[in-house]
Amino acid sequence: MSSENGFEPRIVAFLCNWCSYTGADLAGTARMKYPANVRTIRVMCSGRVDAQFVMKAFAEGADAVLISGCHTPSDCHYQEGNFKALRRYYLLKKMLPQFGIEPERLRLEWISAAEGDKFQEVCTEFTEAIRKLGPSPVKKGVKNG
Amino acid sequence: MADNTIKIKINGFEVEAFDRQPLIEVAEKIGVKIPTLCHNPIIEPYGVCRICTVEVRHRNRVRMVTACNYPVTNGIEVFTDSERVIRNRKLIIEWLLGRCGNVKVLNDLAEQYGITEPRFGRGTDDCILCGLCVRMCQDVVKANVLGFFERGPKRYVSTSFDQTSDLCITCGACASVCPTGCIKIDKLEEGTYKEMPMGPVTPIHIDFMQAVPKKAVIDKESCINFKTGGCKVCVDVCEAEAIDHSMEAKEKEVDVGTIILSTGFKLQNGEELKEYGYGKYPNILSSLDFEVLNNANGPTGGKIFTQDGRVPKSIGIVHCVGSRDKKYHEYCSRVCCMYALKFAHLIKEKIHDCEVYNFYIDMRCFGKGYEEFYNRLLKEGVNFVRGKVAEITDAALDKSEQGKLILRAEDTLIGTVRRIPVDMVVLCLAIEAQEDAKEVSHFFSCSVGRDGFFIEKHPKLAPVSTAADGIFIAGVAQGPKDIPDTVAQAGAAASAVLSLIQQKEVEAEVVTASIDEEICSGCQICVGLCPYTAITYNKDKNISELNEALCKGCGTCVAACPSGAAQQKNFRDNQIFAEIKGILAV
Amino acid sequence: MAYRSHILLCSGTGCVSCGAFTLKETLKTELQKRNLQDEIQVVTTGCQGFCAEGPIMIVQPDGIFYCQVKPSDVPTIVEEHFIKGRPVKKLLYTGAAKATPIPALKDIPFFAKQQLVVLRNRGLVDPDKIEDYIAVDGYSALSKALTEMKPEAIIAEIKRSGLRGRGGGGFPAGIKWETCRKAYLQRNVEPVVICNADEGDPGAYMDRSIIESDPHAVLEGMAIAAYAIGAKEGFIYIRHEYPLARQRLLNAIEQAKEYGLLGENILNTNFSFNIEIVQGAGAFVCGESTALMASLEGEVGEPRAKYIHTVEYGYKNRPSNLNNVETYANVPLIILRGSDWFASMGTGDPRENPWNGSSGTKVFSLVGKVNNTGLIEVPMGISLREIIFDIGGGIPKGKKFKAVQTGGPSGGCLPESKLDMPVDFDSLTEAGSMMGSGGMIVMDEETCMVDVARYFISFLTEESCGKCTPCREGLRTMLDILNRICEGKGKEEDIAFLEEMGEVMQDCCLCALGTSAPNPVLSTIEYFKNEYLEHIKNHKCPGGVCKELITYVIDKNKCDGCHACTKVCSSNAIKGEAKKLHSIDTTKCIKCGACIEVCTKDAIYKE
Repeated sequence: MSSENGFEPRIVAFLCNWCSYTGADLAGTARMKYPANVRTIRVMCSGRVDAQFVMKAFAEGADAVLISGCHTPSDCHYQEGNFKALRRYYLLKKMLPQFGIEPERLRLEWISAAEGDKFQEVCTEFTEAIRKLGPSPVKKGVKNG
Repeated sequence: MADNTIKIKINGFEVEAFDRQPLIEVAEKIGVKIPTLCHNPIIEPYGVCRICTVEVRHRNRVRMVTACNYPVTNGIEVFTDSERVIRNRKLIIEWLLGRCGNVKVLNDLAEQYGITEPRFGRGTDDCILCGLCVRMCQDVVKANVLGFFERGPKRYVSTSFDQTSDLCITCGACASVCPTGCIKIDKLEEGTYKEMPMGPVTPIHIDFMQAVPKKAVIDKESCINFKTGGCKVCVDVCEAEAIDHSMEAKEKEVDVGTIILSTGFKLQNGEELKEYGYGKYPNILSSLDFEVLNNANGPTGGKIFTQDGRVPKSIGIVHCVGSRDKKYHEYCSRVCCMYALKFAHLIKEKIHDCEVYNFYIDMRCFGKGYEEFYNRLLKEGVNFVRGKVAEITDAALDKSEQGKLILRAEDTLIGTVRRIPVDMVVLCLAIEAQEDAKEVSHFFSCSVGRDGFFIEKHPKLAPVSTAADGIFIAGVAQGPKDIPDTVAQAGAAASAVLSLIQQKEVEAEVVTASIDEEICSGCQICVGLCPYTAITYNKDKNISELNEALCKGCGTCVAACPSGAAQQKNFRDNQIFAEIKGILAV
Repeated sequence: MAYRSHILLCSGTGCVSCGAFTLKETLKTELQKRNLQDEIQVVTTGCQGFCAEGPIMIVQPDGIFYCQVKPSDVPTIVEEHFIKGRPVKKLLYTGAAKATPIPALKDIPFFAKQQLVVLRNRGLVDPDKIEDYIAVDGYSALSKALTEMKPEAIIAEIKRSGLRGRGGGGFPAGIKWETCRKAYLQRNVEPVVICNADEGDPGAYMDRSIIESDPHAVLEGMAIAAYAIGAKEGFIYIRHEYPLARQRLLNAIEQAKEYGLLGENILNTNFSFNIEIVQGAGAFVCGESTALMASLEGEVGEPRAKYIHTVEYGYKNRPSNLNNVETYANVPLIILRGSDWFASMGTGDPRENPWNGSSGTKVFSLVGKVNNTGLIEVPMGISLREIIFDIGGGIPKGKKFKAVQTGGPSGGCLPESKLDMPVDFDSLTEAGSMMGSGGMIVMDEETCMVDVARYFISFLTEESCGKCTPCREGLRTMLDILNRICEGKGKEEDIAFLEEMGEVMQDCCLCALGTSAPNPVLSTIEYFKNEYLEHIKNHKCPGGVCKELITYVIDKNKCDGCHACTKVCSSNAIKGEAKKLHSIDTTKCIKCGACIEVCTKDAIYKE
């Protein structure tokens, strides 16, 4: 897990109960290894992910945020919650730079209940990307301030 | 009915009958067989072959009448084999032999009546002009294709102008009633074997012997009544009066509380595997084709024949076709090994000297008694070749391969490539999820895996439940499995369903949203977002109100509420904030 | 304007084909030329019956009978008869013996022994004029029936008269009507009245003649039957080959409707009746009731089993009363003159039981080897001898009588020993023949009875519908065997075999065509067995008919070598120099008989 500069990013993942969380569970039961950098929070639906949650996560020192829900267009257990998440995601992508946060630090992924391996891939690849990107500027600022 | 009953005498025996009942029926009732060639109970009597002519006496009057259409009346005396009757009958048989000397029914009758050499010689025609086909076509089927032409001795049966008739619906009814078998239906075109694996079926049939409920159905496409409005022979024959051609397929709505999805599977299309030549060469069968061929109710009555009617001397069975194969399906179809062994066993049982070759990657005999069965087959002399078949071809390299199907495979146990010529190949094709499994899963709010099988809620803790409450799964729809596993899983699903029903009440969704009246500003953002119309706007109070019974607890409204009036039980904003804080604390 | 004289010109089919219409025009022109058109009227009448002597004309009121009149004779007739007042001798009937001419119709033996009931109006009325028919009491029977009689009374009267079906079966018409009416009342299904005018027997033309000479009699009879039974609809099923008869019927129906004698509310009563004419396609078997009705319905004219009678379930399953033309034509007179009068004619007393005897008269068409061929009407019970020798004038050219065939193609051949037998339904049937519709074919000594049987069987084979086995196969095999016998290849057991086949056919055939078809064979075997044996054993044809069994020979003593025969011989079989004896090469001779016809010395004969 160690890297060149010894930076270990902390990633908050909001997973919907029906697809992505189950997918993550599958990855677990299937003993698929993914980086411990990802810390998951279960919500009933990706549509429940309030923009505040993302901002709060960054404020609390997260280096990146992953939102994951059921596949569009029709996998959502609540019919269309994933589309609502998608709308907020685009909004946040525009908003984050205003706070000095690189938009790459936020990701939205569709992971189904069967895709344990995809969850593993996404986590591994996202962690690697953030590791390269370095720590969140917010954290620095907090530290500095 | 009583006053309609009369008494007649047949060959001296007194018989009760209905007034004007056809004589032949009455005679048959007491077991007196009167020969006839032009009579069929489903067609109006015609009385033309005259072989059924019998003697009727009534008050000094002697008449010769045809039994098939003579209506009996009280007090008549019938003699079915008096000297005069026999003389007449013999001459009529001779006459007919003079026209059709080689027809079996006539020769049988001739033998019965001791006619060795007919005095008129033997004619070569094979139509005895009984008119059954014509009447079948005109009166019953109402297709009006067949008719009589010319008259007197030149009379013959044909179609208009002796041309192939467009009116013919190829129902085959004419051929089915022809007593001489002189009407033939041209050979079915090639390819129909694939379309009709069970062989041609009659329009009214029981789908298969194991059908539930085991009841006959009428195929609208081929039933004559739906083409010409005629026939309805089945209606007359059915004593239970169960047949109604006016019945229409109906859609029924049933209210249920729980549903078990057991939509089964589909067998992979063998033509996808070009290298195995399924659909290209004859005698390459899918496992299901073979199951049909081998079935006692199948087209051959359970006898194993090649398509040109030979008994195969060697059969190759290829395991893992499309399964355990990166090109098609990575998963193992689970059942092939064992049914392939069953096939091998049955082939050996039916054709003792048949060489059976099993081509396998691994033998997966995982169940109770399975390994023992495998060992038994080894002793029965079934050949096992460990290696995946590379291709199946009919290109012969030498004489021994000519006219055969050659399986080319690497035998990994002896380390060489082998060519094994056989007469028939059975492909153990992969079990696939139903094509529409994904649509079905959307419909029931559950999900399917990448391979298309339904996903259970939890492999160990909730193996028959799905993500949706009240929706359960069982059988191969969930994943490949054999019959014992399917039955076990179905039992589990049934009991899961029953336990829900037993509770008599449903647990409401816990994680519903709520709206704090005090805080709500009545902006109505949440109203438009709710996919379940659980939120309505109360004009008087200028607030939005939530119906908890309708709320499914997705939390979309909570995420969107600008004032924080909307909250979700167990997922309140501050709970999640605390969670975020908690996981980032370290 | 009153005419002083009428010329009754026969316009039956026989006379018309001999030029009766041209004759009429010539007569009219001639009369005009002599300015006699207002004094003498030319009337075309129906068939006079004496067809052998056509064209025929009768001059009334003198009753002078002229025969074989040609247009060239017309000026002489007008000049001699109408201006000078003396009959033209050379056109009078002389008889076969070329004796003294007989000027008056009533004195000619051909007419003298006849008794006209059905043909009462022949030569009297113009068939195209309803007024003529009404003038001779036409339609008064219908009027009497409708106004004075109840249906039941009519049926009783017909039953009492003993009128039996003239179509061949001889079933009492009264009983048939009664059954039909009963079926109608029981089931309340409207019955129909059908007239069978599908006369198919070769050489028979009684029905055609009746229709052509007196169509209204048939219509009136049908109307009375319809009233008695309760029908409102009637059909006349007529052969396609009878265009003149059909035309006269159509015309008659039209006129009857105009006069209110057919159609709605006939004679201002509640009774309505319409008749439709249906043309058959000329199949012999359509004379059979079930086949006729099938044809009437538009189906193929084939018979069906008759265990359920057509009188109860016939045309479109309605009660159907089917009678023959002649039967209907008898009806008006029975109603008018009463059953006693009708029963007094013929044999037996049918008044208690209509099966008892044969009352009334019967029309026969007398043809074949007889001097006076033609249509005759005689009382039932007259002997065959009277018909053939008195009315028919005996056998031509002094030949010997051999047989007479009655009842059409499926009738039987009766020998000389039966000549004194009374002609009625039961006697004929008993003798192995039948009444049939009234064909009577006389055969002389030059007829081969095996060939006759073969001819009729061949006709019936052509006409068999082929539906049932015994008729189809039986006729075919019978014909094969008869052909064989006629070719001299017969076997002795063939006779017994033919008899066996005949009996089985009588037992087993579906319709009357089949059951009666063996009659010609069975009756010739019964009465002329020796001829069969002669063919089979000695390979000889006593009648000199069967070509395979005869040779033509030239009499050495008679031939004078005139070459007449060599000129007509189409196969160059006769050789010989002029004035020297000729000879016939039997290998080339096709036995056409042309040489015999031309030989003036009677030197050629058959052996």
